[in-house]
Amino acid sequence: MADAPLPEDDLVAAIPRLRRYARVLTGDPTRADDLVQETLARAWEKRRLWAAGSDLRAWMFTIMHNLFVNQRAQAARDARNVSIDDDGDGTGALQLPVAASQHVRVELIEVLRELARLPAEQREVLVLAGVEEMRYEEIAQVLAIPVGTVMSRLSRAREKLRRSMAETAGAPRATSNGTLQRLR
Amino acid sequence: MTRTPITEADLHARADGQLVPERAAEVDDEARRDPALAGRLAEIRSQNAWLRSGLDSLLDDSPPQRLREAARGPGNRLRRLASRLTSVRAVRYAPAWTAAATLVIGIAAGWYGRDAVLARAGMPITFAQQMAYAHVLYASDPNRPVEMWAPDEKRLVAWLSKRLDYPLRAPDLESAGYALVGGRLVAGNARPTAMFVYENAAKERLTLQARKSTSADEAAFRYAVADGVGVFYWIDDHCAYALAGDLDRSQLLTIGELVYKQLAEAGGKG
Repeated sequence: MADAPLPEDDLVAAIPRLRRYARVLTGDPTRADDLVQETLARAWEKRRLWAAGSDLRAWMFTIMHNLFVNQRAQAARDARNVSIDDDGDGTGALQLPVAASQHVRVELIEVLRELARLPAEQREVLVLAGVEEMRYEEIAQVLAIPVGTVMSRLSRAREKLRRSMAETAGAPRATSNGTLQRLR
Repeated sequence: MTRTPITEADLHARADGQLVPERAAEVDDEARRDPALAGRLAEIRSQNAWLRSGLDSLLDDSPPQRLREAARGPGNRLRRLASRLTSVRAVRYAPAWTAAATLVIGIAAGWYGRDAVLARAGMPITFAQQMAYAHVLYASDPNRPVEMWAPDEKRLVAWLSKRLDYPLRAPDLESAGYALVGGRLVAGNARPTAMFVYENAAKERLTLQARKSTSADEAAFRYAVADGVGVFYWIDDHCAYALAGDLDRSQLLTIGELVYKQLAEAGGKG
């Protein structure tokens, strides 16, 4: 029987948020879309595990988080064997969008650059709380950690971001006409 | 004061709007007395605003086709289109005395009614749906969308022309960014349909389908959407064409006009 308990339209509607979160996790547009595609495929595979009526977004973010963690573990294993590409911790160096046709979004680039300086664990909590506006309990579920850990990571992430931004504040920033100047 | 001291967790929860109103009021009271606390609250709020203003721009990007398809689940789209085809066919083969009712249903259903000319021309009233169905069925196959590949274009066109008993041409869509992948023969109602598959650099595919028409009627561009697949179709010079793709109407129309123009010029009507 064709049983499809997943609300397809809600899944389609969730794509932009999933892409945004994947971009924060991977730092790279193509890898982000690959991660989203895998997340959607996994959701369909595991669709019987989704409790109809429960928060689809939290469930999707959970799947994405688990895939991302597995990818990093795999990357770390590969790095031990090969250790040529990638930057070891598997979080990926931030890649700036450089396609000539792409409208360069200065603010986005700055945000992604600051986020890339945080450990992935802190980045996740910071974005889920501050941007996705998820409840702390929900974040704890998505990341499978205690609420106390959510709070301590959040606290460290914000302190680190504050210091990093204070450092950059003195350096030349991106100019308003959209051209980027080198920082440091 | 018998108040519970403000913790680090309270501070973050206040800035993120996650405290119950009574506790939020207590934190705000304390912040009025303690500039350091007020400063940290403001700091966190401005961080959040800064993160959002940067990252929200990502929400405006329209998702690529591969993600939209992945969200629909494996094979689901095809299944849905197929079930619609079945339900429409049931109406079509109903006894003659229900014809009036069928017509009403057709018009009520919107775009079936607009297919009247195609129906008179011997086309099933579900022409656009069939085209959409064939598009999804074949164009979504990453490895083998066609029976004969583009390097054999001459043989491909000759073969399909022979099977359709109509001199076909595969339009050149390079100017729109689409290259010919190849073609195949598709079963249609009573008559075979030729399909050309095109692909752009992003691996997005378009299909152009052609089927010989029994009447001399011509039909201007019509447009239908079946499950996200846009279809432009028309009849020209005894042949019914359908251009299908996961593009929006204006993009598809631009390419449709390109196809129409090239075919018309080839037919010597320029």
